[in-house]
Amino acid sequence: MARPHIEPYVELDTPYKKFGLNGFKGSQYKVLSLDNDTGACTLKVRFDGGFKRKPGLSYSDMEIFVLNGRIKVGKETWVEGHYAFIPAGTAVGAIEVPQGAEALLMFNDSEPSFAESGSHHPLALTEGLASVNSYEDRPWAPGNLVSPSVASGCLIKVLHYDPLTEALSFLYCMTPQFAQDNISYHDSAEESYHIWGTSWMMQFGELPTGGYFWRPPYINHGAFKCKYGTIAFGRTDSVLFNYFHYNPWTNPDENKLRAAANLYRKRPLLYNWVESDGHNHPHGPPDFENPDYASDPQVRLLHGQPLGGSVGRKRR
Amino acid sequence: MAKRVQDQKPARPAEAKAWVQENVLEQKKRHAAIQKEMNEDLAPQREQWYREFLQVVQTRGFNANGDQRRVIKPAEVPKKPNRPHKVVY
Repeated sequence: MARPHIEPYVELDTPYKKFGLNGFKGSQYKVLSLDNDTGACTLKVRFDGGFKRKPGLSYSDMEIFVLNGRIKVGKETWVEGHYAFIPAGTAVGAIEVPQGAEALLMFNDSEPSFAESGSHHPLALTEGLASVNSYEDRPWAPGNLVSPSVASGCLIKVLHYDPLTEALSFLYCMTPQFAQDNISYHDSAEESYHIWGTSWMMQFGELPTGGYFWRPPYINHGAFKCKYGTIAFGRTDSVLFNYFHYNPWTNPDENKLRAAANLYRKRPLLYNWVESDGHNHPHGPPDFENPDYASDPQVRLLHGQPLGGSVGRKRR
Repeated sequence: MAKRVQDQKPARPAEAKAWVQENVLEQKKRHAAIQKEMNEDLAPQREQWYREFLQVVQTRGFNANGDQRRVIKPAEVPKKPNRPHKVVY
């Protein structure tokens, strides 16, 4: 994905702009990050009181996290902490925001789009729809869902999991006095918005309420500290693996080589096979469990292939 | 290859093209400002943080996995390389 490294960005002092695109008139927005090629983006949106929209769909997978206010969506009312994953082509009910609301809106495949429709697109993968109040309907779990894991005091609520790419959307919380004395990087891009609280990372300093980052793969971050506690919304675009180390001066190319060495040590047969056969994505190999995985938009984006009118570009 | 909704997205209309262009330009400026602030302005403070971190990993240890710590021996402590250092790319 061709989003630049935006870290840190504290959006609270940036004014909202009028949102003039079809389906969003009557709201205002700030871009937190934007893919230069596809138009995929993460926005903070303010729906002014009285905002109304007819039922309709987007041509992009979409995620929403409600920061404050109440949003009526069809027969549901989404309040602060509500999270939804809406697969591309899934028609959502009429929207009404009587008193105003703010939300994070994420378009994963292309720029914001809206087509008025009372029914789903025939190709919509509607079974992927998820709609949950993350504050009330999910328990906090220890952050050790992957190994090596974060230190105690970093908790997580998984809100969405993509079985093909293992991309995650989640709430996380750092308890007061949380500390983790290591430097981390991942194979995935990582994104976060601080709903409340301030945390510190050794490279970037303090990230307060309203702080945001979009960090491409293999970039050092940490050590970590949090004095009074933080709650944040986060995402990865593929599997989250923690590479920990203690060299503050490594760069992404060196980190990538170290990740390859990790693969060499831990999955030697796979490493040798991929290296010797010049593994030829996207034309192979077949996967009997997921025969259509090469068609999946997120898989295609991760491999820099064209999608939704964009030409595609190899990820760094 | 199975067709997906995204493959049937209509061509980007003019207003959406203009929206993307406008926001890409703004993001470029924001990215450049972040790079300067992080890579240049914060560099002296960060050097101090690095020194403190390298002390901590030699005394309390570094978090190798969860709460498991490993104390780093003096011979293992990385040396600052002689090249420009960046944290935002």
